Formats: sequence, structure tokens, C-alpha cells
Amino acid sequence: MKSVRLFFTKKGDARFVSHLDMNRMMTRLVRKAGLDIWYTEGFNPHPYMTFALPLPLGFEGLYEIMDIRINDDSFDISKIPDIMNGVCPKSIHFFDAKEPDKKVGAIAFAEYEIIFDDVGEVRNKLSSFLVEKPIIAKKRTKKGDMKEIDLSDKIKDFCITSENGNTKLKIILPAGSNDNINPSILLEAFYNKNSDVYYCYDVTRTAILDGNMKKFK
Amino acid sequence: MDKKRFEQLLLTVQKPGRYSGGEINSVIKDKNEVDIRFAFCFPDNYEVGMSHLGMKILYSQFNDREDIWCERVFAPWPDFESVMRQNGIPLFALESKDPIKDFDFIGFTLQYELSYSNVLNMLELAGVPLLAKDRTDFAPLIVAGGPCTCNAEPLADFVDIFFLGEGEQSDLEVMDLYKKYKHNGGTKADFLKEASKIDGVYVPSLYDVSYNEDGTVKSVSSKYNAPMPIRKRIETDLDKTYYPEKFVVPYIEIVHDRAVQEIFRGCIRGCRFCQAGFIYRPVREKSVETICRQAKALCDNTGYDEISLSSLSTSDYRDLEKLLNSLLEWTEKDKVSLSLPSLRIDNFSEELLEKINHVRKSGLTFAAEAGTQRLRDVINKNITEEEIIRTCKTAFEGGYTAVKLYFMMGLPTETYDDIKGIADLAQKIVDTFYEMPNRPKGKSVSVNISVSNFVPKPFTPFEFHPQITREEIIDKQQYLKQCIHSKKISFSYHENRTSFLEGVFARGDRRLGAVLLKAHEKGCKFDSWDEFFELEKWMDSFAECGLDPKFYANRERSYEEINPWDHLDFCVSKDFLIRENERAKMAKTTPNCRKQCQNCGANIFGKGVCFEKR
Repeated sequence: MKSVRLFFTKKGDARFVSHLDMNRMMTRLVRKAGLDIWYTEGFNPHPYMTFALPLPLGFEGLYEIMDIRINDDSFDISKIPDIMNGVCPKSIHFFDAKEPDKKVGAIAFAEYEIIFDDVGEVRNKLSSFLVEKPIIAKKRTKKGDMKEIDLSDKIKDFCITSENGNTKLKIILPAGSNDNINPSILLEAFYNKNSDVYYCYDVTRTAILDGNMKKFK
Repeated sequence: MDKKRFEQLLLTVQKPGRYSGGEINSVIKDKNEVDIRFAFCFPDNYEVGMSHLGMKILYSQFNDREDIWCERVFAPWPDFESVMRQNGIPLFALESKDPIKDFDFIGFTLQYELSYSNVLNMLELAGVPLLAKDRTDFAPLIVAGGPCTCNAEPLADFVDIFFLGEGEQSDLEVMDLYKKYKHNGGTKADFLKEASKIDGVYVPSLYDVSYNEDGTVKSVSSKYNAPMPIRKRIETDLDKTYYPEKFVVPYIEIVHDRAVQEIFRGCIRGCRFCQAGFIYRPVREKSVETICRQAKALCDNTGYDEISLSSLSTSDYRDLEKLLNSLLEWTEKDKVSLSLPSLRIDNFSEELLEKINHVRKSGLTFAAEAGTQRLRDVINKNITEEEIIRTCKTAFEGGYTAVKLYFMMGLPTETYDDIKGIADLAQKIVDTFYEMPNRPKGKSVSVNISVSNFVPKPFTPFEFHPQITREEIIDKQQYLKQCIHSKKISFSYHENRTSFLEGVFARGDRRLGAVLLKAHEKGCKFDSWDEFFELEKWMDSFAECGLDPKFYANRERSYEEINPWDHLDFCVSKDFLIRENERAKMAKTTPNCRKQCQNCGANIFGKGVCFEKR
């Protein structure tokens, strides 16, 4: 038995699949693909499968990661992406398979690309908003109540450009089990401050990074 | 609407996966390459509709034809419906996102009466005139199938064509005829007249109904030589009947999220309350080989790890043991678990229990239906209390500590003693558990009794009976609650108001079309969902149309009365239904089809259980 880390993109229709539904769907896809995967051994055996970093509903993802275990040690894992793509809906595309480098706990940051529908107005307001100190946003705690946090020192890096007449924000935020900032709360804070801006954006998570800002593998 | 904007709107509603399309095995075609576009509509939400086997069968069967593109449509949940209305999005099909008003056919499956208001709402959302007489264009044609077509008179004003019985062949024959008209030209009126000659096709506009002064039907007459009566269509050889090799696998969790393998149609039992047990006659089985082949293909093509053997009474399959053994040959290896819904209490065994627990353990539910032997005999359930207790004991010995039992309330001849009998039976099951020396240690037992309200349905021996009133239902529910003394027994019951409306429409006539229209205008939809059901609006609609709903639900009907569905022939004769009703009154049971033929009329097809060797 060996662990395999699979890399895939989740775009289009698949952005409407929640994390929980994603679990269920992937279970069926690996079964449909006929991969000889390892099953858990409890009362209710199911294929072992973990996702490195759940992707919020509505986001697209270009660097999504899922770990499985293959029973046959001699199996050529580089074949897996093609096998999976043969059964996947077109909104899910596998592009790599590796034996895992690091444990999932090593994930520290994620990079997002956010496209805003409206240029000019958004671009200027966003530029000044992101350098404000503090940036107060509301975050739901594990207990379920809302807590105010300052995001100004959480933003690792950002860059605003224009693309096809739209404003594009690239931003790196903490991610993983220690500290995780969903860009939605930042955007929520932005729109609360600038209620005149047309509320419309699309988020793509473009990379998952480790503590050294290297792509997590 | 552009794709981007559509996706952004989806992100503002609950469960956008209901509307996104693009699921595994969904079928995309080039609309310019097909002759017929068919919008298959299920008048309830995505999760309910996607669980329906009939839709999966016809979706695949239609799409296997190169000239047809069948797409799925569900009733949008009210949150998305308001987004659609605000943004001027007409009802669209999931695969292409194209408005269904441009399709050739809009087909509804009618599984329960309480979905009728959704049919009207969906037509309105589609931008199609609701009344058939107002739809002067040839297309889209509004068609409907499913069990409710055995009395779909309340929808007669809205639907162009009803498919009676099983639709596999009649659907395609109608589409072929349509194709001919589309290519050669012709009027809708001529098309409908010709379509009415196809077996199993009922064109309601070709029949006139007149009424007596007391509101009962006086006569039904056909125009333009349309057939009378109109007989249902069935598949005579299930081994040759189309069955899909794959299902669309949804992104989001649906009600029945598993592979479903049909093993037979019809039911030998003849329980007198059960409409399905009569309208799907005669019993026709699939062979073990066919079932195994089809089930394997389904699991391989969907990735499902659970397969449900579907029928009206799964343990009545003659070769059940051989079937389970053949299935277990591969299901165990592939880690596929079997679930057998609709098990009967009288032939449930330890071996069977062991087989269905091979991979994963699922819940156990049994239908006892009534609390006393007398009442079980009235409804012809043909099971004894001893069998119920023994079955529960078997389940407990197999490690189960929870069982669920189904009952009905409001059955003909029911007394308060029968209601008390439900509580007594549940108590005996609890006692049985604690009397077992080898019971699972350290565990408590839980007996869940679920009590629904009996609704008399057409084509059953109880079609003559009044439904009990809402007041009686409430009274009996309260009484049953008082009769339960153990915390180990949980009791759930059904809303009386929805049962009442179901009862009205089940045996309704064409005049109810006006009521439907009124209720739709008042905003009635999703009536089977308690949170949306508004009886006041319905009662106002009845009053405005000058109709009394109790006339339909709570009135005893004489054998001589012409019922609104009497011109439809589901091959169970009225004589037979009357004989059965008389036996019910005497609490006399009737042997099942395999034991002794009762000459119900279903042998007219020359196939099935009627011709099995005994």
C-alpha cells in the first residue's frame, strides 16, 4: 500500500459542489475508475480519501489536492490522472499524481485570484483598502459566534492589475489548520466599507503554499 | 443570459448544485442534430426528482435515440424561483440551460397528487400558456405519465396527452408520430386525434364529461372515434424491456443516492389499500441473469457503492436466494452493499438478514399497516402478529436494536381498538427484546412507529370508501399518543391537512382544474412540503369555484356511480374491486396471485404471473 497525492482543477459547474458533496463524488469517481484503492476497515468501509484544503462553495480551484492510498505498491501512479480524467465530469481535471512530499500540516498559505466586474472605481478603492491598518473583518469562530479580527497583518502579499477591462486581485492569505483566512471575509469587509461598489466577484484559488511560499506537494 | 451572470446568481441561492447541470453521465447533444427536444420535468425539487427510477429509465432510453435529446427539469426551490422571476430567467433544462418553452415536448411525471400545483407553476415559469386550449402553437406539447394518470382528470384542462401505464413504447410511438407531423406539416388537432389511436395514449380533450345535479359524473363520451375505454400499456417481457446502463450521478446528495435495480413490476399481494398493487398488474419478473448483468453495469458506470433491489415487494421475487447469491459473487469483492426495501414480514429470514449485511448494515423497516389482526384482514395484509414478533426477534438476534414499523390510520372499518392495537403491538416488540436472554448487551431498544393517513385511491377495492375527516385523524393521533407508555417507542405521524387535499385530488374530476388554477394564482406550490402548504388558500379556491372538497374526499360512493376515472382501463375490473370490497367488509382475506387467481382482469395481456406454472 502506498499513499498517492493527486492534483486537480475544479472549474465551471464543479464550483457548485460543496466540500462534503465533493467527498461523496470523488468516492464514486475513484470507484468508477476502477482504481485498486485502500478501504478503511471500520464498520462502514469506504475508500480512504482526504482533501488537503477544502475549497469553499463557489470558488474555482486550479491547484486542488486529494490523497488516496493504492493497495498495489508496484502500480505506476503516473497513470492515475488519465484514468481519473476518463471518468470525471469535464469540470474536474486531474493533472498530476505524486507520492506526497510533505504532510498536510505543512500547508501555510493559499494564493487567490479575484476578478471584479467593475474597473476604475473598484481598483482605486481596493488599492487603498488593502493597505489600511487595521482592516477589521468578521470571522465565525469554531463555536459559531462572530468575532472581529484584524486582517491587515494577515495579508502576505497582493497585487492588483487590470485584465480585459476587469480588475484582478492576486492575494496570498494564511491557509491550513493553524490559521485560515477565507478571502470572502476580506471581500465582505471591503464591500461593507464601499457599499456603492457593484457587488460581484469571482474567486479562484490558484495555489496552495507551504511556509516557504513554495507550492505544497 | 450569459454564463457568468447565471453562475453569479446561482451563488446567491441554497444548494446551487440543483441547477448547475454537468453531472457525471448527463447527456449533452448538439441541438441542431436532433429532431425532437424533450424536457422531462419532475414537479418537485432536484433531490426528490433525481431519486425517481422512471425518469432515469426514460432519460436514457430517449437519449439512446440519435434524433431525440431528453433533458431534465425540476421545480426550482422558492429561493431560486424568486431569483428567476426577478431576473427574467425562464424555466430551463439542466443540460443545455435552454428555455423549455422552445422544446417539442414538455413531459411531466405525476407521482403524487400534491405535485399538481407545481406542474402549473413550472408551466408558468416556462412561459407556456397553462390551459391546453390556449396553446395554439403545435409545440411544445404538454404530456404526462406516471401512476397519477390513472385518474389525472383534475389536470385534463392543462395536459395534451396522458400516457397510461408503462411509457417505454407509447412515448416513442407518439414522438415518431410527432416527427412525421413536424416534417410533413399538419395541425395539432389532427395530430392529437391520430395520437389517441396509439395504445396507452389518452388525449383528454377528445372526451366530454357531463355531470348530474348532485355533482357526480353523468357520462363520459368520446369524440372523433377516440377509443373508449382507454387501456393502459405495459411491458410484457421485462428481460427485453429497456433498462439504463448508467444513471446521472448527482453532485449533491439526493434522497435515494444509490444504484436502483428493478427486479419485477407489479405485486402479487393485493393489499386492498394499495393502488400500486392494482394498477401495475400483472406481476412480471426479470430473470436472475438480466438483473445481475444490469446491476453490475450500473455500479461500474456510476461508482455507486450501494444497490437497491427495487420492486413493490422484494421478498416475493421467486428466485430471491439464487439472485442474492449471484449478486454477492461480485458485490462483496467490489464493496457494494445490497439494500432490499419493501421486505415483507412473513418471509424474512436469518439468511436473508445475513446476506444484506454482508458489506454494510442498513436500517430495518417493516410495514405492518394495521394494529389488529381483524383490521389487517380487512385490508388483506395477510400477516399475523406472531410473524411480526418473530421477525423483530430475528432482527434483534442479528444485532439490530432499532426497528421501524409503518402503519396507516383511517382504514375502512377502523375503530379506536385498532388504534390502540398499534401501541400494543409496539409494546410487545419492546417486551420481546427484553425477554431475550441473548439480546445485545448494554444497548437499549428503539421501536419507531410511523403512522400515515390512509387515502382511498382509484382502482383499489377501497375506492368506494369515504376518507376519514381531518378532525377524526387528529382525534385518533391524540388517542394513539396516549396509548403509548414506553420511552422506547417513538411515534411519528403525518400532517392531516395534506392528506385531506391528496384525498380530494386522488378521486377528483375535471372540475377541479378550475380549483387548481385558482390555487396556483394564489401562490400554492410544493404542497407536499409542510412548510409551504397553505390549506386556507386551497379552501378559498374551492369556495370560489363553488365546489366542496368533502364531496370528493369524505363521501361514500355507490357501486353504481360513474367514477371520474371509469373510462380509463387499468385492467382491474370494477366487478373484481367490488368483490374485494365485500370481502373486506367481512374481514375475509384473499389469497395472493400465485396461490389462486381472482380473475381481476390483468390476464388480458397474456403474460406475467397469470400464466406462471403453479
